[in-house]
Amino acid sequence: MYASVRNVPAEVIAAPAVRTGRRRIAVSRTVILLGLVSLFTDLSQEMVTAVLPLYLTYQVRLSPLQFGFIDGMYQGATALVRLLGGLVADRKERHKEVAATGYGASALCKLGLVAVGGAWLGTTAVLLVDRLGKGIRTAPRDALISLDSERAGLGRSFGVHRALDTVGAMLGPLAAFVLLAQLPGQYNTVFLVSFSIALIGLGILILFVENRRDREPVGDELAAPAAPKEHVTFRAAMGLFRITRFRVIALVGSGLGLLTISDAFLYLVIQRQTHLDVKWFPLLFLGTAMAYLGFAVPIGRIADRVGRGRVFLAGHLALLGVYLVLRFADLGAGAVLCTLLLFGLYYASTDGVLMALASPTIPERLRTSGFALITTGTATTRFMSSVAFGAIWVAWGSQVAMLVFLIGLAVMVPAAALTLHRHPEAAPA
Amino acid sequence: MTAATSRTRIVAFAVIVAVALLVAVAAVVLGAGGKTPVAATAARAVPVSRALVDAPHIVFRDTSRGADYGRVGIVPLAHPAARPAITGLTCDRVYVAGARGLCLYANRGVITTYKGVIFDARTFRPQHSFSLPGNPSRARVSADGRLVAYTVFVVGDGYGAPGFSTRTFVRDAASGRELAQLEDFTTYRDGHVIHAADFNFWGVTFAPDDNRFYATLGTAGRTYLVQGDLARHRVKVLTEGVECPSLSPDGTRIAFKQRAGGGIGPVHWRPAVLDLATLRSHPLVETRNVDDQIEWFDNEHVSYGLPQSASSPVTDIWKAPAAGGGRPERVLAGAWSPAVVRG
Repeated sequence: MYASVRNVPAEVIAAPAVRTGRRRIAVSRTVILLGLVSLFTDLSQEMVTAVLPLYLTYQVRLSPLQFGFIDGMYQGATALVRLLGGLVADRKERHKEVAATGYGASALCKLGLVAVGGAWLGTTAVLLVDRLGKGIRTAPRDALISLDSERAGLGRSFGVHRALDTVGAMLGPLAAFVLLAQLPGQYNTVFLVSFSIALIGLGILILFVENRRDREPVGDELAAPAAPKEHVTFRAAMGLFRITRFRVIALVGSGLGLLTISDAFLYLVIQRQTHLDVKWFPLLFLGTAMAYLGFAVPIGRIADRVGRGRVFLAGHLALLGVYLVLRFADLGAGAVLCTLLLFGLYYASTDGVLMALASPTIPERLRTSGFALITTGTATTRFMSSVAFGAIWVAWGSQVAMLVFLIGLAVMVPAAALTLHRHPEAAPA
Repeated sequence: MTAATSRTRIVAFAVIVAVALLVAVAAVVLGAGGKTPVAATAARAVPVSRALVDAPHIVFRDTSRGADYGRVGIVPLAHPAARPAITGLTCDRVYVAGARGLCLYANRGVITTYKGVIFDARTFRPQHSFSLPGNPSRARVSADGRLVAYTVFVVGDGYGAPGFSTRTFVRDAASGRELAQLEDFTTYRDGHVIHAADFNFWGVTFAPDDNRFYATLGTAGRTYLVQGDLARHRVKVLTEGVECPSLSPDGTRIAFKQRAGGGIGPVHWRPAVLDLATLRSHPLVETRNVDDQIEWFDNEHVSYGLPQSASSPVTDIWKAPAAGGGRPERVLAGAWSPAVVRG
């Protein structure tokens, strides 16, 4: 796969360039490379995630509730390093190095799981570092993607990246279960193979991805002396909230996050309503991932043409569709399939599209910090939504919980549309 | 990027890929390396003979690192250290009593399926099989082999999902027919019906009359010992803090696992014994973490499985005096899920 991009000029690769109305825009080499980095990393990550419940129950002997609690506490720590990583990446203009630190930490954690040998305190500590690694790497990676994409092609760039990422996420559980089926109980083998795959992803990042400043000839900077660079500080990052459009996007993203039911809960609702045999559970995940994979690039392109805000909101209408089907339809095979398609469509229209939507509002020198702020907001509200959904479920049942979120989302989407419409994106300079 | 540096990078990348491949191959070889060759195991095992199953014996799940990992093994009760006979059954949980046995297992794969098999206790031939709605947890057969009960985790695989839940079934062993799901039973406490959405039942143990049984009821973070009436589809709460009950052969006591300590971290269970007449319990001498449904070795001893080390898939079967005191004693190495068949 790599050979096809090897001998291509640094700026663009010969990936199918598409016509986006006025002119052709190619996906940059960096985007493809980062997509491959994510493919390998997600493959490695999902291998571990897939066997983790079994490992924690049978080897570490933690109950699901205990793990849920510990995992919840880690969310707070992740938000902090996310911002810190963003500031460092922006200040030093070293997005790649900060991202590599995050990818490297997560790779080492696979070795860490082997080293602590199933002791519960050690295992949860390693999982914490793993989450921190994920927190650190996401924003600088997305900043590299956005800084290396033309403004008109941002949606497609993120679409291509997320599609490659999803391929890895789909292959991971497969690889893990094939290994465990052959070598029952040998979790260490799974962790070591996962480590070796993560190593390949890390290698691609370190060896082939370049920070933009390393690639631009120095002459350019001399020829066009830029304004003296302001130091990137925490205060400067927070100053992003003074940019109206940025503030609105962060607010809309976080607000909608409050009404997003996590996939674990949605699959559980599907399972309960259809009395689906638990063995088909992974198929729900697989179905959504396939839909996401299929939609990611086309939706990214559509977002570039018709407006990323519109597509982002339309994605939440797809989510509303999911809620409606789950709450009111008689769930047969067709309805379940429809739900998964809509859910994949939701992911394709929101995950990368939100980053593409926010990109133009954030000055380049603060790109990583800006992304970190937005993702911290959405991650926090989604976590709150999970807690709330779980609490309502336990107290009044899943039907009530679905209805509350359905009504909430139905109110929130038009409100978000109105807010985005009132504060439109500034015209391209 | 100049041609030279680009070549350097490609060489460096090739080295990384080579190292990664080496690690992966080494991991797979090492993972498989614990296995003894099939021939060696065949020499270790003895065939299942009529004489072996006619005399008192222990049926267990082999957890030694060999080709027989997961297979059902048998040793004479009088000589548990003898070379085990290995049957053709592979199970995650196994139990035998009277004329029949129950084997629960997972077909691990991209889509993992779970199955239960009722088998003949002498020939180990499957008689009925059925699919399970989740990961196997507990398996029991009534003393005369007429009833089987089993518990599975229904959402136990989904972390981040709202907690776990279990489901417990009772089947007629002769026909394989499902007789009851404990979740459908009416629950009484101090004469009143109680109910909550988070009721979970697990760990059935049958009384000799094939109607009365004991089990655990879990709700709101607490566990209760319930006594059940199969014919009337009802259970009543006897006492609190009893998990995975196991009725003694003389029917007077219940061995169970008791939560020791609390707070964050894995739950630690210690084996204990409850006197049904007084509902008083005492802990046993064993202080290690016992996460299993205890099996009575005889009227004076209980047995249970323990991992050899914290992360080891290899387990041993131990026994300890039911009255408390004494010392734990290893009965069988590389074994799990013991069933003592007294014949």
